[in-house]
Amino acid sequence: MSSDKTPFDDAERDNPMLAAEHALGLLEGEELAQSRAKLENDPEYRWRKDWWNNWFAPWTDEVAGAEPSDVVWQRITEAVAATQRDNAAETAVGAMQKVVSLETRLRRWQWAAGITSAAAAIMLAIMVFAPGSEPGSIAPSDNGAMLAASDPLVAQVPIGDTGLRLDVTYIPEGEQLLVGAIGLTADGVHDHELWLVPDDGSALQSLGVVKPGEVLAKELSADIIANMGDGAQLVLTREPIGGKPEGQDAGPVVAQGAFSKV
Amino acid sequence: MAEGQDKQAADIAREKLRAAMVRLAEGDSAALEEIYEATRVKLFGICLRILGDRKEAEDALQDVYINLWQKADRYDPERASPISWLATFARNRAIDRLRTGKVRQGAVPVEEALPLPDNTPLADDLMVDAENAAQIHKCIQGLDERTRTHIRSAFFDGFTYAELATRADVPLGTMKSWIRRGLQKLRACLEASEAA
Repeated sequence: MSSDKTPFDDAERDNPMLAAEHALGLLEGEELAQSRAKLENDPEYRWRKDWWNNWFAPWTDEVAGAEPSDVVWQRITEAVAATQRDNAAETAVGAMQKVVSLETRLRRWQWAAGITSAAAAIMLAIMVFAPGSEPGSIAPSDNGAMLAASDPLVAQVPIGDTGLRLDVTYIPEGEQLLVGAIGLTADGVHDHELWLVPDDGSALQSLGVVKPGEVLAKELSADIIANMGDGAQLVLTREPIGGKPEGQDAGPVVAQGAFSKV
Repeated sequence: MAEGQDKQAADIAREKLRAAMVRLAEGDSAALEEIYEATRVKLFGICLRILGDRKEAEDALQDVYINLWQKADRYDPERASPISWLATFARNRAIDRLRTGKVRQGAVPVEEALPLPDNTPLADDLMVDAENAAQIHKCIQGLDERTRTHIRSAFFDGFTYAELATRADVPLGTMKSWIRRGLQKLRACLEASEAA
């Protein structure tokens, strides 16, 4: 049986005791730092400290109130306004830096993979506004990792002996596919449909009907993205206007290509 | 019944404060002024009690509201009443200030505390839950007077174990044991009241 004379060592403390000591303000130095870390990581411990806080809080009613001078509120509003200005400036600078960084990357990709400037302009727009990459939300230190993870996949699909080609670019960051058919003209009888050929031999996945003379941006579904990668095969088929009719086989393959990482 | 009306007015004030806290957490900076108007007297009283110096207490108070503006989303209305949470928040900020050495131990001992010229009795709507107040009072009264005094002194003056031991002129280990036995009994008493 413990009496008031029995020592109560640091090592004997359980978490509820430590939480009480923290709530009272008794912890210092290393112990305080450890308790703070525990609060971040241990919900039960956090619950226990809140429990003590809630029980101790009524004691603050015994403390007489006092009126601070007017200058306090003035300083608070000034500090809040200054922080808001800083945040706004940081966001703007972050957005600018991001655009500059993307433009640099795009120039590199254009040079490396012959992406047309029409496609590059659309890519820039998509990547600036890509979900999860709002301007300002990316710390500069993250840029390295983001660059490596999100370099696009590019495929060139030559059309017969015409010297014309489709430029197909997949941007992982925005889960977007760009199909550029600049220089192609419609014959008024056929459309061309682009397909991804999954590695595992399963059915072709349609990437949509190609629009001659335009660069189209298209968001891809998860089951298509799953088959995207370096070396993924593409085929272009000739179809009736509007693309392959439901329930019929795809038309003849008129061109093919493969994705490669920039 | 006048008492019933007071309670109703206090409930309304509390509900307004809770709503302002929610708005602040959602990014409405204007809510900060409303919260400041409603709570500055209580929170400044707490900072002043811990820090014992008007200028330091005003710096701490400023710190409290700027931090509140930045961290309002940490407030969970399910876990604590707004005034209880804010009082705890203000007290913690003031204690942090003491501990980081920004202030020399400025708090005056309980028995020496001088009345402040602008002491203001707290309005009902700034009082923390009365039921909790009665229960913690009952439980702390169950401790021996020496333990009770030291625990309360830790709370009201922000003293550390070492400071309490020096002031009571006992070894550090003894002070820790006294307070820990007291906290153990306090917890048992409070938990029993919750179970009842």
